Amino acid sequence: MSEPTDSDLNLAPREVVPTAARGKKKPWFAYAVLVLALGAGGLFVAKFLTNAIDYYCNVDEIGHKSGCDVGRNIRIQGVVDKDSIEKAGAVTNFVVTFHGESIPVVLSSKPTGLFQECIPVVITGKVVDADDGTQYFEGNEVLVKHSENYDKENKDRVATANGEAAACSQKG
Amino acid sequence: MNLTSSSSSSPSPSPTSTRFTRALGVAALVGIGWLVLFGLFLSPNDRVQKTGVRILYIHVPSAWLAYLAFGVTGLSSAAYLWKRTRNLQWDRVAGASAEVGVLFMGITLVSGSLWGRISWGQFWTWDARLTTTAFLFVTYIGYLAVRDLGGTHQQRAKRSAVMALLAVLEVPLVHFSVKWWRPLHQNETVEKGKLNGLMLFSLFIGLISFTLLYVWLVIHRQRVLALNDQVDDRGLDLALAARREES
Repeated sequence: MSEPTDSDLNLAPREVVPTAARGKKKPWFAYAVLVLALGAGGLFVAKFLTNAIDYYCNVDEIGHKSGCDVGRNIRIQGVVDKDSIEKAGAVTNFVVTFHGESIPVVLSSKPTGLFQECIPVVITGKVVDADDGTQYFEGNEVLVKHSENYDKENKDRVATANGEAAACSQKG
Repeated sequence: MNLTSSSSSSPSPSPTSTRFTRALGVAALVGIGWLVLFGLFLSPNDRVQKTGVRILYIHVPSAWLAYLAFGVTGLSSAAYLWKRTRNLQWDRVAGASAEVGVLFMGITLVSGSLWGRISWGQFWTWDARLTTTAFLFVTYIGYLAVRDLGGTHQQRAKRSAVMALLAVLEVPLVHFSVKWWRPLHQNETVEKGKLNGLMLFSLFIGLISFTLLYVWLVIHRQRVLALNDQVDDRGLDLALAARREES
């Protein structure tokens, strides 16, 4: 009688008996995660194309650059002028400047984050023509765009900081 | 890491730790202890951000480690696809590194969101850096899902390696997004020398300790993945042995 070889084995599927403690992974879960990831990725691409590429217009581009038109809902970036912040009830008024161009802002929401004088901000809203022929920015949200500069808090440097702050509205 | 070991010949699972990995784990713990000490207590407040600056010591190292992890996943995947270095161990390193990278990317997104609330005044906004980072995060979640779709180890390794080589191209897109577009997110700080003294030192400690933690996690995780593969292979061996007994 000859020895059986592997080609003689009956390899038909049997009732599965666990051979190890590790549970078998369920591919449907991986497919579900993959579908969710694809959906989220599509959403992020759409957000990128509609919001992220030109997140804001600089103040000096208002009315000059395509997409930074007067009357259109836009975001603008500039530095808050020194001594320009005034609170009037629920409204906050201030002036932002960039590259020597300034525009007054009337903000209808409460400023949050690190909002203060001499700090770069991005404001959402639209440019409005005032009755006196000037323009102002009607803002509904302000976000602080902190710079890449980090400096330790130090009383000895307060004078320097104040000096920088005084000149902040000139820089833009 | 032993990149030449076979996955199917070992009769019993071996532990995932060695003297080296235990020393590495202790070093990572000590580094994290130093990070807590310097990041929370010894480094000064920032002039503008005050104490909120301390999130920097978690946020930046975790972002850099995520980049590194995805880079390692890409390189390991290339090593698997190249015939001269084809070995499933490269696939496991790629998978382990991607898992740890997703963890660090998640930490980056959460810490950045908290930092954004403090400095910008908002948890999230759709600017270029944030959007591309979120896209990178879900891409690697998708990569991990692709690894679990089933098939043989070689099929898993091949399809995930191709995806890893495509996904890693997103890393420079995320990193340079602050230069290529106009984001709310700040520009580079360290490269421009805008961080000094104890602030820079605390960040350095964060980078070192997170790197040690990354290496420790990847070594252990890839060994666990190797053991998982062994279990799968042994399951097949046992089934064949049972059928030989039948015939």
